[in-house]
Amino acid sequence: MAYISQYQYYENGGALPENENWGSYQYVTLKDIVNNFMVMYAGNHSLINNEERYKVLFHAKRGIQELNYDAFKEIKALELNVSDLLRFVLPPDYVNWVRVSLYSGGVLRPLTENIQATSSDAYLQDNNYRILFDINGNVLKPQFSFLDTDRIAGTKKSIYMGGGAYNGKSGYNIDGDWYFDYSIGARFGLNTETANVNPTFTIDKKSGVINFSSSMAGELCVLEYVSDGMENGDESSISVNKMFEEFIYAYIRYSILNSKLGVQEYVVNRAKKDKSALLRNAKIRISNIHPGRLLMNMRGQNKIIK
Amino acid sequence: MINSVRNTVLSILNKNNYGYISPSDFNLFSKQAQMDLFNEYFYQYNRQINKENARSSGTGYADITKGIEEVIDMFSVTSYMHYGASNKFLLPSATTTGDDYYLINKALVYEKFRTSGANTSVSGTPNELVDSTATFTATVAIGDIVVNTTTYTSAEVISIVSDNVLSLDADIFTATPQDYSIFLSVQNEAEKVNHSKITMLNSTSFTAPSEIFPVYTEEGILMSLFPKTIIEPGRVVAQYIRYPKEPKWTYILLPNGEPAFDSTRSDYQDFELTLDDEVSLVTRILQYAGMSIREIQIVQFAQAEEQQANQTEA
Repeated sequence: MAYISQYQYYENGGALPENENWGSYQYVTLKDIVNNFMVMYAGNHSLINNEERYKVLFHAKRGIQELNYDAFKEIKALELNVSDLLRFVLPPDYVNWVRVSLYSGGVLRPLTENIQATSSDAYLQDNNYRILFDINGNVLKPQFSFLDTDRIAGTKKSIYMGGGAYNGKSGYNIDGDWYFDYSIGARFGLNTETANVNPTFTIDKKSGVINFSSSMAGELCVLEYVSDGMENGDESSISVNKMFEEFIYAYIRYSILNSKLGVQEYVVNRAKKDKSALLRNAKIRISNIHPGRLLMNMRGQNKIIK
Repeated sequence: MINSVRNTVLSILNKNNYGYISPSDFNLFSKQAQMDLFNEYFYQYNRQINKENARSSGTGYADITKGIEEVIDMFSVTSYMHYGASNKFLLPSATTTGDDYYLINKALVYEKFRTSGANTSVSGTPNELVDSTATFTATVAIGDIVVNTTTYTSAEVISIVSDNVLSLDADIFTATPQDYSIFLSVQNEAEKVNHSKITMLNSTSFTAPSEIFPVYTEEGILMSLFPKTIIEPGRVVAQYIRYPKEPKWTYILLPNGEPAFDSTRSDYQDFELTLDDEVSLVTRILQYAGMSIREIQIVQFAQAEEQQANQTEA
């Protein structure tokens, strides 16, 4: 991409949206990556010759996907209200989740993933427990399984705590204030894995939804997730942080050489090592380990841990 | 060069009264010889690249590749592809671009279509596009490219005078009505793909052609652009290598019936190859002429000459 003027950068040259170019200098676009690769690493005098551009494009995209899964620290977040059906439809570019939180009363409360089954399919059965089919031979299904119905109605029992930490516990009410003999966390034998009063969730990947426990109805949910960087197929928006630019070239080079007939093994190995080393370098760079940040961490070393 | 070649050919042919070739025969053999040498340039180029890769070629004056490229580039033409229908454009030909093509080196596609229409009048001010039905202020930006799709010429937008008038850097609208298309000036190269691949490419989300990475296939006289949204006349430009023009040694007849060279004739056409191809042209024409007059010695002489030249070049 061509360099842009400062007016273009700050105000998009007077056009909308104004923030179009903010921070754009950190990134190199997919178009630039493919063009640069074709010009600099492919051709008559290069290791890679007579390769179609669509192959380069494919490997470039695959490289960007791989980076998005673990190397990039680019977490997307989406806030949505959870419906009465206790569902949160996954965003279209969702690949994996990082954290699911409930936003309530100005506080972001990270939720716990429910390890129990909270949702299931169901088949209709007759009195003899035989499965019912339609005329095409397909099994008949109800809209919701009993498991789902109970979860939505809030009647499903859970191993997780609900309704507040002190709900159902004996205590004393003096002048309107409740007092308890012991706190929940101190109770012997408490399963800490399930000791959370917040709503719980389960991700149904195939159905593309997050199912919540009943107390989440109508609440605001914030999903933090990672995407694959493909920007819903809009190739003009696909980009890579410049820290990873050289890695992407190395990744494409390796991927092509690795699948090309007649390339010597040492050449493939060289490309492989090149790719791995560049990925390590880029990860270190992107982790932003610098003295200022280390200093802040090390200042905590004298704090007495009680 | 053509007269010099002819004189040399005749001089060799006539030695010992071997024979004589008529102007029309000479023109036929010239065409054939030029086409042979033209084709050979591409094979030479490939051989030279292989030599470079084997590190047996030099730079500077020893850069043979550069010389071959220069000759091939003499036949390079960049031209708008005439529009056919839907996403199909006509490949270069004598009737569309004025030349038949040897190979399409690259096809460029404007990334973004702005608007199209037809001019409604010719402005008194030169270099202007006038369309009383347009709303240029909303659809066009300075720097955009306007293509006159009637004449397939183009110009850049210098300023937007009003909703109906654009100021351009060239006078491409001299009659009315002439159709036009306007594009963002960014061009992307379209890659040629095989028919065996295009269906699969189109059906995968990863490699499906886009306006940033377009592709094309060729079929008969048409090139099909993908994605199929590339449907605007003037959107595709190709740089191609054309065939050399047919050489024609033109003449007037002297009172004694002898043809005398006349380069002022409208159908006169010199060879288009470089001067250093003169020797090769002579030997090639001699081979054809020798065959024509059934004089095997001429053919053998020409072949020996050619072989010697090849050995020197190797």
